[in-house]
Amino acid sequence: MLFQQNKDKQMQRREFFKQLGAVATIAAISPTISFAEEAKKQKGLNNLSYKAAVDAITGGKGAVESSKVSLKVPEIAENGAVVPVTVEVESPMTEGDYVKAIHILAAKNGNPRCIDVHLTPANGKAMFATRIKLGESQDVVTVVALSDGTFLTASQNVKVTIGGCG
Amino acid sequence: MSKRKSLIKIKPKKYKDGEVVKVSFMVMHPMETGMRKDKKTKELIPAKYINSVKFNYNGKVITTMNVWESLSTNPVFTTYMKINGAGKLSVTYSDNTGEVNEKSTKIKPKG
Repeated sequence: MLFQQNKDKQMQRREFFKQLGAVATIAAISPTISFAEEAKKQKGLNNLSYKAAVDAITGGKGAVESSKVSLKVPEIAENGAVVPVTVEVESPMTEGDYVKAIHILAAKNGNPRCIDVHLTPANGKAMFATRIKLGESQDVVTVVALSDGTFLTASQNVKVTIGGCG
Repeated sequence: MSKRKSLIKIKPKKYKDGEVVKVSFMVMHPMETGMRKDKKTKELIPAKYINSVKFNYNGKVITTMNVWESLSTNPVFTTYMKINGAGKLSVTYSDNTGEVNEKSTKIKPKG
């Protein structure tokens, strides 16, 4: 009887160690998986994911879609290496009420941030135009920061027939 | 410090004091992302892109830009500017390898 009990205890101990082992291996593997993913993301230079980039601009507040912001991008871009982008914002551009910054982002590029433009009332008109590279078909997004601390956004999907990277 | 080809265009060409004009700045720059491979040697081409552009009008910074590698080769930066007296508009730009250049034009309002 006593022997039996001992054996039972031993079995329990074995089970316990088995479980412990299983947990330990999972715990050991999972961080390496997440590290690998992070390393993949950070492979490019100073790369942020698209969501992180938007959060970094707005400070986690999020931006509101607005008709005040007009984003002009061709719907179909034949060559992804040169895609003209124009952003125009309705604003009086006076000392009290002006557009602080215009950010242009490409959602699926390796580094989604393209350019931050910090404007001042001396510009007279809130408009910015440039040419960007797009690796594949994706959304082009603009986030506009106003002087009163609010953020507006506009986006448009662009179809790319020849990618602009590589 | 290599000399890069760059150009500042102001539209319209003739403008008055207090007018809002369109200013575009073009620069010949490879804007290499650092992800592209050389087709012959199969080696990565190191990144080289403009990371900052500043518009300076009569000693006052009117526009600053933080730039990343997603801009096209030979980029164009177009904004508006309010003419406020004669003087100089200079554009300073630097890239991630530490190259700094400047381009300037004279501002001459008429009337």
